[in-house]
Amino acid sequence: MSANLVKAEQTLAVANPKRKRKWQSYALLFILPSFLIYTLFVIVPTAGSIYLSFTSWDGISEDIRYIGFANFVEILQSTRVHNALKNTLVMTISLVVLENVAAILLAVLVDKVRWFKNLFRSVFYFPTLLSGVVMGFVWAMILNYNFGVFNQMLDAVGLGSWMVDWLGSPKYAMLAIILSTVWKGAGYYMIIYLAGLQGIPAELNEAASIDGAGGWKQFRHITFPLLAGSMTVCMVLSMISALKIFDQIAVMTDGGPGFETETLTYIIYKVGFGELRQGFGTALAMVLFLLILLVTLIQVKFLRKREVQM
Amino acid sequence: MTIQAKKRWGEVILFAITLILAVIFFFPIFFNLMSAFKSNAEIMRDALAFPKGLYLESFKYLLTETNFPQAIGNSLILTVVSIAAQVLIIPMAGYAIERRNAKWTQAVFLYFLAGMMIPFQAYMIPLFKELKVLGMYGSLVGPICVYVAGAVGFGCLLYTSFVKGIPREIEEAAEIDGCNQYGIFWKIVFPLLGPVTASMVVLNGLGIWNDFLMPMLVLPSGHPKTMVVEIYRYIGEFSSRWDMIFAGTAMSVIPVLIVFISLQKYFVKGIASGATKG
Repeated sequence: MSANLVKAEQTLAVANPKRKRKWQSYALLFILPSFLIYTLFVIVPTAGSIYLSFTSWDGISEDIRYIGFANFVEILQSTRVHNALKNTLVMTISLVVLENVAAILLAVLVDKVRWFKNLFRSVFYFPTLLSGVVMGFVWAMILNYNFGVFNQMLDAVGLGSWMVDWLGSPKYAMLAIILSTVWKGAGYYMIIYLAGLQGIPAELNEAASIDGAGGWKQFRHITFPLLAGSMTVCMVLSMISALKIFDQIAVMTDGGPGFETETLTYIIYKVGFGELRQGFGTALAMVLFLLILLVTLIQVKFLRKREVQM
Repeated sequence: MTIQAKKRWGEVILFAITLILAVIFFFPIFFNLMSAFKSNAEIMRDALAFPKGLYLESFKYLLTETNFPQAIGNSLILTVVSIAAQVLIIPMAGYAIERRNAKWTQAVFLYFLAGMMIPFQAYMIPLFKELKVLGMYGSLVGPICVYVAGAVGFGCLLYTSFVKGIPREIEEAAEIDGCNQYGIFWKIVFPLLGPVTASMVVLNGLGIWNDFLMPMLVLPSGHPKTMVVEIYRYIGEFSSRWDMIFAGTAMSVIPVLIVFISLQKYFVKGIASGATKG
C-alpha cells in the first residue's frame, strides 16, 4: 500500500514539469471562451453604467453630455428616490426576517414530521421554481377586490366588512407584495436550513432530552445556534434577492398606488426606460450595486462570527 | 397519559400543522391550474368553484389567435440554447482554473466571482445599447450571450469545488495513453461532473424559462417575445380576459411541474451544494 503510494508520487514528480507546460497552453484555451463572453456581456456594460452615471444621456440621442456628479446630487435631493429607498429598506428588512423565520419553521416541520416528508418538502419548495410574473398575476387575482378568492373567503366567514382592494390600498399593497414573496421564496431557504438541520448530530438532542430539556429549549440552545452557518448563507441570499425584487411589483402594483410600492430596482427601470433618463437611471443602478456589495461584505463578516465550529 | 401516547399526539399535531401550511402553500398553484379550465364567466361568478367541465377554449384561442405559440418557441430556444452553451464553455473553465492553479487563474477566478455581486439592473441600460452596436438587437443571440455571461461566476464556483474532489490519477493515466487535454476533459472528467452539470442545467434552465426583465428589454417590441413577457403584456391588454391569462400561466407552470417531478433530486442537491460552497 505505502510502497504503491511512494511509487505513484515518484511518477507524479517525473510527470509534473511536462504536465505543467502542457497545461499552460490548454488552461488559456479552456478559460478564454468564458472570459470573453463574461467580459463582453457583464463587465463592459457595467463599466458603461459607471460612465453613463456621470452623464445626462436620454438613451436615444447621440448627445451624451458629461455632467459630473449632478445625477448623484439629484439622488440625494429627490423625494421620489428617498421614497423608493425607504420602500426598498422596508421590503428588504421584512423579507429577510419573514422569509428566514418561515424557512426555519418549515425546515423544522419537514425534518420532524413523520408522514409524507418528501411530499411536504416538494410542496413548500415548488413555488420558488415559478416565474415572479406568473405567480404575481395569480396573487393579484386572489387579492382582486371584486372577484378575488380572498375577499370571497372573508365574506363567507362573516368578515365581509374587512374586504378591501388589497393591491389598490396604500396601506396593504406593500404587505401583499411582501407576503406573496415570502410564499414564493421561503422554500428555497428551507432546503438550505434542512441541509443544516440534517448536519446536526442526533446525539446532541438526545443528550439534552435526557437532561430534561424540552422541545423549545433544545431548539433554542442546540438547533438554532448550530444553524448559524446556514443562516449566514440564507440571510445574504434573501437580502440580495429582496434588493433585486422586480417581477412581482411589475405585475401586482406597477409601483403604485401612487409611488407606494416603488423600489430602487423599479425606479431604475421606470426612469431608464419609461422616462428616458438613462444617465440618471444608471446612477441609481450604481447605488443598487453599492448596496448589494456592502450588504454582502458586512453580513459575511458580521455573521461569520456567530457561527459555531463543529 | 403514557409517554408513548403523548408522543403519538405530538406527532399528529405536528402533522396537522404541516398539512395546513402545505394546503396554504399549494393553493395558489392549484387555483391557477383550476382557473385555466374555467370560462371567464365561471371565474367571475365564483372564483373558488371547481370547473364545470374541461373548458379548453382559452387554450385554443391562445394557441391559434395570438402569437403565443411563437413566444413558446422563443422561450424554448432561449432556454435550450443558452443552457447548451453554458455546459459547453463553463465546466471547461472551472476545470482549468482548478487544475492549472496558477496566480493568473486565481485572478481570473476572482474576476469571475465578482460578477456574482453585480445585479442585472446595474448593467441593463448600457447592455441594451451594446447589443444594438454589436448588431444583436432583435435576435435571440443577444439574450443567449447575456445568459451565458451571467452564469459564468456561479458556474465556475460550483465546478472548481467539484473538480477538487476528482483524483488526478485518472487524468494522468489517460494522458499516458496519449489522450490530449481536450480528450481528457470531455471523455473522462466531464462525465464525472454529471451531478453538478445536472444541477446547473435545471436551476439555470428554470431561471431562463422564468426570466422577465431581460427578454422584455432586449427583444424588439411588436414581435412575440417570451412566454412570460407575453403573459405580462396580455395582463395589460386583455385585462378582462382572465381565462386566457390563466391558460397562459398554466402553460408556463405545467412544464416546470413536470421537470420538477422528474428531476427533483438535482434541484435539492444544486441548492444545497451551492449554498455550502458559496
